[in-house]
Amino acid sequence: MVEPASTAPAASGHAPHLAPAAPTPVVVPAEAEKIQIRDLNFYYKKFHALKGINLSLYDKRVTAFIGPSGCGKSTLLRILNRIYQLYPDQRAVGEVVVDGRNILDPGIDLNLLRAKIGMVFQKPTPFPMSIYDNVAFGIRLYEKLSATDLDERVESAIRRAALWDEVKDKLKQSGLSLSGGQQQRLCIARAVAVKPEILLLDEPASALDPISTQRIEELITELKTDYCIVIVTHNMQQAARSSDYTAFMYLGELIEFDNTEKIFTHPKNRRTEDYITGRFG
Amino acid sequence: MSPYARRRATNAVVLSLSLAATAIGLLWLGLILWTLLWHGLGAINLDLFTLQTPAPNSHGGLSNAIYGSIVMTVVATIVGSPIGILAGTFLAEYGRHSPVAPVIRFINDILLSAPSIIVGLFIYDLMVIPMGGFSAWAGAMALAILVIPVVVRTTEDMLNLVPNSLREAAAALGAPKWKVIVMVTYRAALQGMLTGVMLAVARISGETAPLLFTALNNQFWDQGGILHAMSNPMANLPVVIFQFALSPYQDWQSLAWGGALLITATILILNISARLLVSWKGFAK
Repeated sequence: MVEPASTAPAASGHAPHLAPAAPTPVVVPAEAEKIQIRDLNFYYKKFHALKGINLSLYDKRVTAFIGPSGCGKSTLLRILNRIYQLYPDQRAVGEVVVDGRNILDPGIDLNLLRAKIGMVFQKPTPFPMSIYDNVAFGIRLYEKLSATDLDERVESAIRRAALWDEVKDKLKQSGLSLSGGQQQRLCIARAVAVKPEILLLDEPASALDPISTQRIEELITELKTDYCIVIVTHNMQQAARSSDYTAFMYLGELIEFDNTEKIFTHPKNRRTEDYITGRFG
Repeated sequence: MSPYARRRATNAVVLSLSLAATAIGLLWLGLILWTLLWHGLGAINLDLFTLQTPAPNSHGGLSNAIYGSIVMTVVATIVGSPIGILAGTFLAEYGRHSPVAPVIRFINDILLSAPSIIVGLFIYDLMVIPMGGFSAWAGAMALAILVIPVVVRTTEDMLNLVPNSLREAAAALGAPKWKVIVMVTYRAALQGMLTGVMLAVARISGETAPLLFTALNNQFWDQGGILHAMSNPMANLPVVIFQFALSPYQDWQSLAWGGALLITATILILNISARLLVSWKGFAK
């Protein structure tokens, strides 16, 4: 649950009533908890990287993880789709409940989980195949679609990633032939093509120029109408611009979690304030 | 002499020594190539490729030897490459933290530098004696054993070069491990893996010792089709060169030089193509 750091933890397990997001022209759906993180600890071999994280992530909202280097924000993100499981010396202890199921349970089918929870990485990683095949890759894993249906899905995914106009005439060309910003949008198209419920973005714009960064941020704002989005970012201004909720982390602990506006204007914790105002970082 | 002048002098001396060493090394290579060309070029003509190995003191070519070498090399590659690729995949993808992997790598390195005559002897014991005679199958198997460690080494190295971020991106879409390997990692490493196979082919092109114990030689062209031919001794370039070069007949000796030039040219072309393939940017699709 949400844990204000300067007071004792909430006695009950209710989600506190948070002020609704700033008024937008779109009808804002009621806040639903998509992911609940309870007492999560994470270890790299003997190193205790995450300490007792308690956090809620809301559906159809963007939550940003911010904090200085090494604070554990990427680590926390990578637990949400259990991608850390590719490496043997890393383990997570605790509960991460998505739609009522604890995804840290050993009985969970990891591949199905990852088809539901999409991830975009910091460095654009197009596969060594055509643009079309890149986007179709995830779809082909679990769905049998006719050629026309597949074409439609691929096109709509690429359109959602704001990439269609630039690649519509060269879908058969290699994904590696695109520019950095285009490759990253291709990775986003690839991730949304499988219609996940949750999107995890690990510093998606940090390797990109400002124009591409802006497009990615616009994209995130559009995408949040359909997904629960969690974004890790080094760039505080980006968090302030794009997210509804912000979680500030430091040295493996969750220091403060609140509405983005509140975090950036009236943070409750001294360390949060120091980080936001740039006294350390 | 000032310190600066002394350093310049030392530099000049060492530079000269390095250049001299390089020249001496290249000199031998040049001499070998020159000798091959000098003696062998005269034997390169259409007859070399169309006529069979002749009786002493008569005119002929190397067609059956060329054919035999090609057949055995192809069979050896078809048998050895999949084994090598799968083993290399295990080492790079599945066995990274397994205690078995270093042992496998060690054994592979030993096999890589094992004297090929031992491999020949091994197949002689395993196949030739039970089968009751020399055969091209045995020859191909001996060559396959020489192909495997080369392909294992290059496959593992090429797969290790594929960045983990690519594997993570595929896994994050929900792809099971084997699909990540086959559909993404192999594609990314394909150029390098093909190069490994080409280098293996280049390696076995000139091997004589294993073939002496397994396929031996055959001066006749088998009329019964390829499968029948494979169960019998089969002519091949290295053994023919061995036989012809040591003989006192002029015709045979000139054919031997021609064969040696042919092998050298093939290996050279294979190696150069392998290098070009690795750096060819147009491959990624």
